[in-house]
Amino acid sequence: MTVSTPPGNSSDERALLAHAYFDGELDPVNALAVGRQVAADPVLAAEVDRIDALRRAVREKLPIEPLPDDLRVKIETAIGQTRELPRPSWRALAASVVLAMVVASGATWSSLTMRSNDRFSEAIMDGHLRSLMSQRPTDVTSSEGHTVRPWFNGRVTQAPTVVNLNQEGFPLLGGRVDVIDAEPVATLVYGRRKHVISLFVLPRASRAERLAASQSIRGYNLVRWTAGNVEYWAVWDLNSAELETFARLLRGA
Amino acid sequence: MGQDAADKAKFASIVVPHLADAFALARWLCGNRADAEDIMQDASLRAYRAINTYSGGSARSWLLTIVRNTAYTWLAKNRSLALVSLDGANSAEREQIERAQGVNCSSAVTPETELISRLDATRLEAAITALPIEFREAFVLREVHGFDYRQIAEITGTPLGTVMSRLARARRRLIEAVGDEQS
Repeated sequence: MTVSTPPGNSSDERALLAHAYFDGELDPVNALAVGRQVAADPVLAAEVDRIDALRRAVREKLPIEPLPDDLRVKIETAIGQTRELPRPSWRALAASVVLAMVVASGATWSSLTMRSNDRFSEAIMDGHLRSLMSQRPTDVTSSEGHTVRPWFNGRVTQAPTVVNLNQEGFPLLGGRVDVIDAEPVATLVYGRRKHVISLFVLPRASRAERLAASQSIRGYNLVRWTAGNVEYWAVWDLNSAELETFARLLRGA
Repeated sequence: MGQDAADKAKFASIVVPHLADAFALARWLCGNRADAEDIMQDASLRAYRAINTYSGGSARSWLLTIVRNTAYTWLAKNRSLALVSLDGANSAEREQIERAQGVNCSSAVTPETELISRLDATRLEAAITALPIEFREAFVLREVHGFDYRQIAEITGTPLGTVMSRLARARRRLIEAVGDEQS
């Protein structure tokens, strides 16, 4: 029987190999050689005992816990809210695939003309959809502007002006705070028949384009306009004509 | 079945069974529960959107790769300090740091096996958490998740030899930490 050359010559290397041996990562020839080395060297043997003790301690004392229920719910909710079409980041990666899906889905899709607003529109859409999926679309529920407006104090930087459009067939349902682009945003909620309109009110510097800009994303209609230093976005799932009416009433108010 | 429903079904069969493993890794990498929950939500969405890129193989290591990368992105954004460990160093410095931590077991304090076995969970967890992130992830992927060297190399995007030495050094540091505590 030939004595195999001990693999590794420095004590550091021998120790490294002892770890790999312990982990079952050596090929059979090296495993045999290192196994002999470990058996013959009390220092290495003690090290292998210690890493074995360490492994057993970790497995016994720090086992993988079951997924907490509340986290499971959060994840399921997050996945449940993803829509048929992947989001912009993904779209950038697979534009051609997505384009095919868009065409196939038959959704009204005017986004080919959308540019920097695209991500923001998506965030607005998300806010609206999230509210529809929750128990109710409002955090404060009241048809009284003087109840809804003060509720926003301290929640957003600037409480929105609340316009009453009851007479015009757009009853105020209440308000909520959405997070758009990492900023809390005041959202007023109006009804129209059995549908809900989310009106996002963003205090921001007035832009050049003062005209209402309409978009349609996957069957949802969005209208945007600015007044002074405030930008408004209205979203709902019915026709754009009524939404334009709603916007016109607010702008005229 | 629509694309959306098909993707959700895939998510349920590929990702969901490994969420507990994924959460454990996220916790080890960021060090606390609340941040790990954020990372998990982000990573789950990433996994969902990329579900059609999964092409067989270990679903668990596929998911943990996503979680690991999400955690690094999250740490870089929210806690730039946490990554100063080895990633912040240039390659020469990094080599020096890694070399300075030998695995030679005869040169340092070496506690009895008995001491290691008696460690309580809190102290063991604290010692692991104190490891530099590169060492910690190699150790956790091996000892908590039971991955082999090749899988760890794939998940962390690290050469096999580096995985081997980081793992050995992580263990050596932990063993020394136990010894230091006792002396």
